Amino acid sequence: MILTWVYWAITVFVIVLVVRSLYREKSLREQFVAAMVLVPLLLRVLFIK
Amino acid sequence: MTVEWFWPEGFYTLVMVGVFALASFAFRQPIAVALAIAAIVGALISGNGVPVDHLIEGAFGYLDTILIIVCAMIFMKTVQHIGLMESAAAWMIRRFRVLPFRLTMGITALLMLPGMITGSSSAAVLTAGAIVTPTLLRLGVPPVKAAAAIALAAIYGMTAPPINIPAMIIGGGIDMPYVGFGIPLLICTVPLAIFTGMLLVYPSLKQSAAIGPGGEDKELEVELDRMARVRLTPRLMLPFLVLVVLLGGERLFPQIAPSLGMPLAFLLAAASGLLTGQKWNPMEAATEAVQAALPVAGILVGVGMFIQIMTLTGVRGFFVVSALALPAWLLYVGIATSLPLFGAVSAYGSATVLGVPFLLALLGRDEIVVGSALSLIAGLGDLMPPTALAGLFAAQVVGVKNYFKVLKVCLLPAVVTAAWGILIIIGADWF
Amino acid sequence: MFEKRYLASRFSATLLLLGAVAVAAISAHSYLRMHHPGPDVDRVVPREGFVHKRLSDYFQGLQDTPADTDVYVQEGEQPGGTLLVLGGTHANEPAGVVAAVVLLENADVKRGRLIIAPYANLMARTHTFPQDAHPQTFGFETSGGVRRTFRYGARTTNPVNEWPNPDIYIHPASGQTMAGVERSNLNRAHPGVADGGMTEQLAYGFMQLIKQEDVDLAIDLHEASPEYPVVDALVAHERAMELAAMVTMELEFEGIPIRLEPSPKNLRGLSHREWGDQTDVLAILMETCNASAGRFRGRTGEALVLTGEDKAYDKAAELGRLYVPWESWDKRIAERVGRHVTSVKLLAENLEFVRDDAGIVIEGLPAYTSLSEEGVGAYLRD
Repeated sequence: MILTWVYWAITVFVIVLVVRSLYREKSLREQFVAAMVLVPLLLRVLFIK
Repeated sequence: MTVEWFWPEGFYTLVMVGVFALASFAFRQPIAVALAIAAIVGALISGNGVPVDHLIEGAFGYLDTILIIVCAMIFMKTVQHIGLMESAAAWMIRRFRVLPFRLTMGITALLMLPGMITGSSSAAVLTAGAIVTPTLLRLGVPPVKAAAAIALAAIYGMTAPPINIPAMIIGGGIDMPYVGFGIPLLICTVPLAIFTGMLLVYPSLKQSAAIGPGGEDKELEVELDRMARVRLTPRLMLPFLVLVVLLGGERLFPQIAPSLGMPLAFLLAAASGLLTGQKWNPMEAATEAVQAALPVAGILVGVGMFIQIMTLTGVRGFFVVSALALPAWLLYVGIATSLPLFGAVSAYGSATVLGVPFLLALLGRDEIVVGSALSLIAGLGDLMPPTALAGLFAAQVVGVKNYFKVLKVCLLPAVVTAAWGILIIIGADWF
Repeated sequence: MFEKRYLASRFSATLLLLGAVAVAAISAHSYLRMHHPGPDVDRVVPREGFVHKRLSDYFQGLQDTPADTDVYVQEGEQPGGTLLVLGGTHANEPAGVVAAVVLLENADVKRGRLIIAPYANLMARTHTFPQDAHPQTFGFETSGGVRRTFRYGARTTNPVNEWPNPDIYIHPASGQTMAGVERSNLNRAHPGVADGGMTEQLAYGFMQLIKQEDVDLAIDLHEASPEYPVVDALVAHERAMELAAMVTMELEFEGIPIRLEPSPKNLRGLSHREWGDQTDVLAILMETCNASAGRFRGRTGEALVLTGEDKAYDKAAELGRLYVPWESWDKRIAERVGRHVTSVKLLAENLEFVRDDAGIVIEGLPAYTSLSEEGVGAYLRD
């Protein structure tokens, strides 16, 4: 149970980093890739999927 | 192949692969985006509309893998930032400069290491590859050969233990735990790594060593001094030690060691880097790591979507059973060609879609050995354009514009690799 | 689409971020439907005589957790043995689930007791497995024209309830190592752990039920893929072997070919192994053949779940890759449910021959041929 919340925190951390990368990417294509990766991470953090 | 068998799944297959190729080659989309577009078109032509829930559900198949890659990349960036990577490389080159065989082996091992740890060939190329490149070139290795050596070593690293994601994927397909793969994976990779090193790197190093130990090459000395500015002490090795203890403990003594999982183990090891080496900004390093990991993470998301739609439309069954339909003697040819070719979509996709059915077709032999060999051959997919994760990044790191030149040099080792993999499958029960 | 001249900007980043949130919201809408499917999905209409209980009545620890599930008990007028039937240990094995529901809606117990948990692992019913492309639901029309819809779930507990899985799962009772994902698999979690993971707690709950209700015979209903060797089979704990052998012969006599497999002694965590080892219950697991969960399957959807017809499997059978006589074979869910219901009935009827005073008589159950001919809908209530 503790580990679930540790992994929840890791996933939140990764989301923050991906959003940071999204704003730093110089190319629109790479921004699009970052947005794609974001979707499953968001759904897991919300405990939807 | 009969028309009834081909229609319509074969047609969907052609359309999905065609759209993928078009999007990535002609429209120069990132692989992740090209895969997503191909998946959407596949769903549309098969009358499924744009099933957003299916597409995203497919991506969830690799959620844990994405976390592993991101955290492993954070670890590698840490090791780079504290100066450990460069310091170790400089130490090795100084020590073995006049011993070209050992230097070749040392460089090959160093190039493989990040791949072994992260299970991702691009991680290996972007970290160790980037660090070793200037030295390789300075030591007289031609750029095209250097790129090929880096790409191949990265693939062998990705295949070598402890972490081999294609093997995990293939094993997962028949409910086989990722346990006991260590030795078979070493047998799969070590001889090939030695062969490739001797073929691509050794001849140049031998020439360079023949010039003599006098260190005529001033520029090289300057480079090595720069790389070795952080002293290689046991304390500097701390992140590696933490990682070995956490990952090794969990694997070797599962009954007593805590089960933290790979992402947490990598993050804890990275955090221990705060206690040693050069000062670094953890948040910056982590963001850099995510930026480096995003193309691979994106490809996994794209592959997940692609495979979900393949399953939904029946393309997967068409593909799998067509592969099983190959006559026995052609099965090996099929494995040796289709696994690397499907790697155009990515080695992970190839392992998922083809690795599992091939393993099923070969059931009855030692499954761990066969799974290991299949993961080796699937790994070659990382040389296959347009994705060519290992190859393209290696060419980029070395500064070769035309990847196909690199691919040409890779051809012989790749054929030898596939042949070695097939030999291991044929002899699986002798282990 | 995105030529290089379209440079990335903070604006495009914000737009894409919103886009990602929107896509997440659209798919979340669909995934949440599996969590809250509405009153008409997975609805059961137990035959009069059944008493509704919850698994938490046997193990308090499950109360108000997502693992708690419905348990129905019917007691006959004459005393006799006690039979427990589990459906939906694996939520992606539909005939097991539907057979339990058919039993629940038709069984009229004359002697002994019948306990049914039709949705054993509810946490596996709230999601479909990535890259399996399964439909969220499938259904039947009753004779009264009402559509009865059931969720098609996954083999394992939803990661929302159990995450992360370890790299290596150590089965607590035996110390056996398994793939990490098995921690979320109810049929590797027996006999369970009171304070373990959610799936282990669920398994513990069923163990308490078996002990407290003094169950004589426990049957776990499953389905397997056509490419696996154990299909259309009874898997019996060694103490249940005699009973299973009798029933196998009777099934063959009724024209229902079935295999008899001993429960492997060294494969731990499975219901028939742990229930049989830890209590004096006779434990049996049953498998029918479900192409919709197979690895060779072609187009995936409700039709495949219901008919079992699949051209990729036809071809695989031609190639000799299957263990079942595929071509000559009835793969419809009605046949598979009929097979399960008939086997349960025969096992109950024969129980008194291997265990004194434990006889069970259940009337009202559809015969194999009627289920197979009239379809499942004919034996579900409106």
